[in-house]
Amino acid sequence: MFSMILSQDLYVTYKWRQDPVLKGVNGSFKNKSLILGPNGSGKTTFFRAICALTNIASGKIMIDEKSIEDLYATKEILSTNFQEVYTLIGSNVYDIIRLYTDLSDGDPELAFGIIQDFGIDLEFIKKRKLGELSSGQTKIICTALALAMKAKHVLLDEPFEELDPAKKGKMVKHLNQYDGVILVNTHETWLLKSLRDWEVFFMFEGVLYGPLLVEDLLKAEISLAEEPDTLLRLKVSDKTVSIIRGKGKGTLLASLENLDKIYQLAEGE
Amino acid sequence: MNAKSLLTNPYILFWSILFIEFWVLMWAYIFGNYISPTEEAVRIYTATAYGNLLMLSLSGASVTIASSLLYSSKSIRYVTKFTKLSPSRFLLENLTSSLIALLAISAVMFISVTGVFFARFGFVVMPVDVVGLSFSIFLGTLFIYAMALFLNFSVIILRAPKSASFISFLPLILAFSAYASLWIDFGNVTYFSPFNCIVSVCYYYFSGQAPPTGNFLVHGEQNLVNVTLAIGSLISWSIILMMLNVVLLKRMRGIGVDEIRTT
Repeated sequence: MFSMILSQDLYVTYKWRQDPVLKGVNGSFKNKSLILGPNGSGKTTFFRAICALTNIASGKIMIDEKSIEDLYATKEILSTNFQEVYTLIGSNVYDIIRLYTDLSDGDPELAFGIIQDFGIDLEFIKKRKLGELSSGQTKIICTALALAMKAKHVLLDEPFEELDPAKKGKMVKHLNQYDGVILVNTHETWLLKSLRDWEVFFMFEGVLYGPLLVEDLLKAEISLAEEPDTLLRLKVSDKTVSIIRGKGKGTLLASLENLDKIYQLAEGE
Repeated sequence: MNAKSLLTNPYILFWSILFIEFWVLMWAYIFGNYISPTEEAVRIYTATAYGNLLMLSLSGASVTIASSLLYSSKSIRYVTKFTKLSPSRFLLENLTSSLIALLAISAVMFISVTGVFFARFGFVVMPVDVVGLSFSIFLGTLFIYAMALFLNFSVIILRAPKSASFISFLPLILAFSAYASLWIDFGNVTYFSPFNCIVSVCYYYFSGQAPPTGNFLVHGEQNLVNVTLAIGSLISWSIILMMLNVVLLKRMRGIGVDEIRTT
């Protein structure tokens, strides 16, 4: 079967009469993909919508040609690293991993292997609940659990956040080894060089742009002018930002550590 | 949440056991001063006490069940969609573990009432129909669970985390309202109030006599409850609420812990 997540004209509003957080998001994800965007751009909300954890005002999400609304008790199709979905029982982390991998016919040993690779002892997680771990440890465990559920589509929300540089490198290795579709949302661009065969999407102010191949993006530049031959044209703070093939006219995107700087560029700072 | 974690939950231990133990002592040593010390009078008094205290105790436990479900609502949504656990199987497994915990609490209340009343009156009063009493306790626990779940899912569907605390205490508030039947005749309203039905059915199987529709502690002419109707009412309430729970479980998207804490 064709393995793909499809978002069609998706609008998400948290409260009635509030401006939508997602504004007509269209996109299809069939390969390992990055969604890059600054904090508050709607990336996490988009992942919550795909997981059916938030109300959709209009539009729809399809996974493998089935509406997300119609999916129930469907194992091996989707997993995520949101901490909030791993609180079904108030037990220790070890038991939680056992429970969720059992419910999904996943591989607990894969999770334990990843966790140990990050230097976390299994005896330690037998004595601790999820809420008693540091932010970095929690991120590692939830990401390991998401990968161990053996789903065709894995959504990873900021998997590099709170990790030191060495651990970020290990996380990249595990993501590259995974056999399935992975969507990673992050605001960090340093990892582009390690994920050359991935696709990249951008999210700014609730709108999704893309995809581009990482390989192309690494050679791309950002320009604040309306360029005729653009790879992507973004709207940021009511200004147009063009991502163009590298010609020495703009700023190399790969040189930016954080996409928030696009806002600074757009503001002329 | 499994039965063990429910039974070791400090909130459940407080609201459904310690808090109710205070009322057990009140029933034995304060209200009991006006009871004739004959076995028949004490049996009816014990049946009244157990029915009412059980209702309060189970309602207290439902506060914790409802709030624990609220806090894990995102997880419930996730596992019922993306693991092999279907919504109905989740409800069945959660119901089983909750019933084990609620039945254990009912047993503790029974031992407590029997023991304290023995200390107060000098003889042990056992229920006339143990099987029937067990059945009535089961019906009571089933209804309480179904209601706790319904209230919790309603808070989530209506996205009203601000009301979560009030809603979780609603069963206890309603239970205390039903407690007023000790002094007021509820008449036919008894059949529409599942809390009063729990008291009536427990009373019937404990004492072997049809309970009054109210005025338990007031002397004078009393209207009697049709126990079959009360059982039918309890079963109907439980079935309707469980059916609604399946629908709501499929529709609800969960509330984040942050939303509950910041509102």
